[in-house]
Amino acid sequence: MSRRYLAAYLLMAAPGMSLADGLAVDKVYHPYVQPLERELEYRSSWLDDDDMQLDGLQIHRLGFGASLNDRWFAELYVIGSKEKGHSLSLDAYEMELKWQLTEQGEYAVDWGLLFELEVNQENSAREFSTAVLLEKEFGRWTGTLNVAGIYEWGSRISNEFETSLAAQWRYRARPGFEPALELYSSDSAKGIGPVALGTVRFSGARKLRWEAGLIFALDSDSPDQTLRWMLEYEF
Amino acid sequence: MHRCLKMLPLLSLMWSCGGLAAAPVFEIEIRDHLFFPSEFTVPADQKVKLIVYNRDSTPEEFESYELNREKVIMGGAKSVIFIGPLKPGIYPFFGEFNPKTAQGRVIAE
Repeated sequence: MSRRYLAAYLLMAAPGMSLADGLAVDKVYHPYVQPLERELEYRSSWLDDDDMQLDGLQIHRLGFGASLNDRWFAELYVIGSKEKGHSLSLDAYEMELKWQLTEQGEYAVDWGLLFELEVNQENSAREFSTAVLLEKEFGRWTGTLNVAGIYEWGSRISNEFETSLAAQWRYRARPGFEPALELYSSDSAKGIGPVALGTVRFSGARKLRWEAGLIFALDSDSPDQTLRWMLEYEF
Repeated sequence: MHRCLKMLPLLSLMWSCGGLAAAPVFEIEIRDHLFFPSEFTVPADQKVKLIVYNRDSTPEEFESYELNREKVIMGGAKSVIFIGPLKPGIYPFFGEFNPKTAQGRVIAE
């Protein structure tokens, strides 16, 4: 879901490259919303690849989100990138809406929807995506699946429809540390790798959630390795 | 006796076949930042529906890492939480906004 801004960046760097040529590694979303929730989020991906256009590329996102009620959560992001040897540049804005469809544990699978609209200010590209969020508990194990349909359009890009998939298989060991395996797949990039997650609690129901992982390419078209991490402060 | 009767609505674990797929239903209350009852027994290996009434004017969050649940219940409102199927055991929960007072546990057997 996040690959479009990298792709847009690549488009500028390599004219003729399609917006579909990006990477899929970003974040796995869970289909739950809590009322009164507010959060600041920072997440980043660092790429390592033989391709000089990808090698050393950093993607940064800073977002503020708040629940609208007990079913809807909205978040706004600013998105920047940094090429090796260059300074950080602001590339895009994104609005996200998450909709919790079922109560956790009510049915065999928990359901949610995620809507995203991204505007790339550099090349006037737009992207709208809708993702189905699925989650199921297996004792202390939890499986999560995000399946997205994405439409990209703009005057400087080829309009196209894409799909992407992100999956996470997580073991709830303890609140501060949960190991997981994540799989990402888009039309042009595929990766799998270990991830760790955790939550640190503070007084006043404030929390710091963290995630870090290293995703390895599953084919030659994907970035060799993507290091991703996220900090999310709930207050 | 009178005291017991008075507590009965609070301590009663309402068992019914209403709701979803015959999941047993239990009702608990949050009052003065405490859970009533603070401990109750549910059938193991079966999904259970909890209806949590927050009688306080302030919100509270039912939270349990062991149950893999967190749910904010607004002041004066109720919320539904599905838990399980649980293996036999003890599963603590607490109110995240008042963790020192609002504590309880679910016993699955």
